[in-house]
Amino acid sequence: MPESPYRQRRLLGSVVALMIGCMSQQARAEEDASAAFGWTTRVIAEARDARVGSAFSAGLPLTGFGRDRFRVEQELRGRSGPVSLLLIATESGQEGNKPAGRLVAHEAYADLDIGGERFSVGKKVLSGDVAYGFRPIDVLQRESRLQLAPTSLEGIPMLSWDNFSTDGAWSLVIANPGHQRRGVAREDGSVALKLYRHEGMADIHGVLRHSRRLGVELGGAVSVVPGEALELHASLLQQRRGERLVPLADGAGGAQLLNADAALAVETPANPRKALVGGTWTTEAGYSLLGEVWWDGTAPDAADWQRLYRQSAQRAAMLGLPGVPAAAVAGASAASLRIFDQGNLLRRGVLARLAWSDSASGWSASLDLLGSLNDGGRTLTAAVAWQGERLRFDAGLRRYGGPGDSAFGLLPDRTAAFVGLSLAY
Amino acid sequence: MFKRSAMVLLASISLGAAAADDAKVKALLKQADDYRLAIASGRVDTEVRSFKGDTLDKTRLYAVYLKPGRRSLVLFRTASERGQKMLMLGDDYWLMMPASQRPLRITAMQKLLGEASTGDIATMTWSEDYDGSVSGEETIDGQACLKLDLVGQRKGVSYPRIVLYLAKKDRHPVQAELYVASDKLAKLARFRMGEVGGRRQVTVMTLVDHLQKERSTEVHYLSRTDKSLSDDYFNPAFLVRADLPQ
Repeated sequence: MPESPYRQRRLLGSVVALMIGCMSQQARAEEDASAAFGWTTRVIAEARDARVGSAFSAGLPLTGFGRDRFRVEQELRGRSGPVSLLLIATESGQEGNKPAGRLVAHEAYADLDIGGERFSVGKKVLSGDVAYGFRPIDVLQRESRLQLAPTSLEGIPMLSWDNFSTDGAWSLVIANPGHQRRGVAREDGSVALKLYRHEGMADIHGVLRHSRRLGVELGGAVSVVPGEALELHASLLQQRRGERLVPLADGAGGAQLLNADAALAVETPANPRKALVGGTWTTEAGYSLLGEVWWDGTAPDAADWQRLYRQSAQRAAMLGLPGVPAAAVAGASAASLRIFDQGNLLRRGVLARLAWSDSASGWSASLDLLGSLNDGGRTLTAAVAWQGERLRFDAGLRRYGGPGDSAFGLLPDRTAAFVGLSLAY
Repeated sequence: MFKRSAMVLLASISLGAAAADDAKVKALLKQADDYRLAIASGRVDTEVRSFKGDTLDKTRLYAVYLKPGRRSLVLFRTASERGQKMLMLGDDYWLMMPASQRPLRITAMQKLLGEASTGDIATMTWSEDYDGSVSGEETIDGQACLKLDLVGQRKGVSYPRIVLYLAKKDRHPVQAELYVASDKLAKLARFRMGEVGGRRQVTVMTLVDHLQKERSTEVHYLSRTDKSLSDDYFNPAFLVRADLPQ
């Protein structure tokens, strides 16, 4: 929602106050080793090339899809004593809208040691898994991976009791305390037990979570380093219930197709699994090759994407017909685009990533090929970055391709690109 | 019978000599280590200056906590890297990025390729990781030196082979040739001595890169204190907590 100028001024005032506070804190930090804050300014420009003749064209103006043009972020990150903070003020611009600003505490939590027991309380990012492209056991944060120019993750309210031994650890986490079932899964209240063990060349992770929406989820992951250059990993999650957005069932009539509320349905598959295996090979010359394949029993399958393709075409064909309001076509078409909001779009995915880095010059580059083994869709992403003393430069280009009825073939974007600059103080 | 006894005697003498040589090399390395660290566990604050030719390119600050048993925790303190941590437990390595909530298990090769090769600053001792022999004497910068050919005894060492030159007079490190797994000379290290708290210590290690022309690094040891961390801090799962001294 666009912010009012008054609200933007208030935000700006807050940011200035924070900066002053940060600077004075920084001065004190010289004397107090337990306080340390850093400030980063980021400017990101984005551009997109829309797919010509997309079946979603009528609905696109009603969504923010593909309209992000820039964002300017001011980030304050650090801690004072037991309290850690990550505050980000963002001014973002979308095509056709006035720039909007917001200030969000992405993290604000305290690490406490009470009677020899360790606790964390507050708002904290809880993402994690051993994998890169898809993270089966990321059951608390549910991070969307492989975004082209991702924004910083926003933590979730939590309370954890952490215990550490020589080779292991366990944490009992209450996420979103006081919540029951909310609009989206990551806002649900849940309780989770996380386990970790370091056993020789292997790191072993386990998680057991319970929430009202999904019931019990049990997962495990392992990362093994069998040699100086090779790392192998695997991750597996078994859920009592899953949840996914799918298009209307086949055979829907015209009225149903034009009903925005019915454009997508929530399916709850029983006992779905998510699994991934992968590895990374790194060479002395600075090259690394990562490969991963995965299965996600809660992602839409090829039949779902084909159905979406047919229904989108049917809606587009209804435009201009007597008695069919254009607004209804646009609304239903826009609503159906929410299917792309799901973190992972691929039932069976494969990722190959070739990366190169040179710490001496600060340059790094990568080439990612992400493919769907279900529907033949694919994305190719090239990225380059340079890290200097304080300045960082990033740029990336992504091309979506594949059959028109595949997940990536259906996306309204054909190409996306970004350029970013950040300055750390 | 006589022949057999003589052979056994010769073998015993040669084994005894080898053991004595081994003990001598270990003692030399221990003496050299004392000039670099001088404390069994504690914190070393380090400034790494990277040069392109003669021009200063980057400056990085690190705090390194060391514990016996080849354990070290590196905290990245420069503005652009703040919040990153690297943990080394023997031959196992983890990298923690500030935006993540799970430490990444990384390989020895990934550690070697990291910014300023953090292995160079986190490894402050040779005696636990290397063994070898005294292969001769040479004069380096006008100083008479013992030349030691060292071979890494563990798979995770950054440099599997080192040719180390120690001053004959007091065994302080003068120069080290650092070789990577392919046996290419990766870096040439020079050690500058100074007085720290009344002790003669290495104050600067200069690394001239032989794989990348015109690149060199100066590692300045700003302070060494016996400020220690409990064992919890050297658990990879602990890296997600923020209550680490910066």
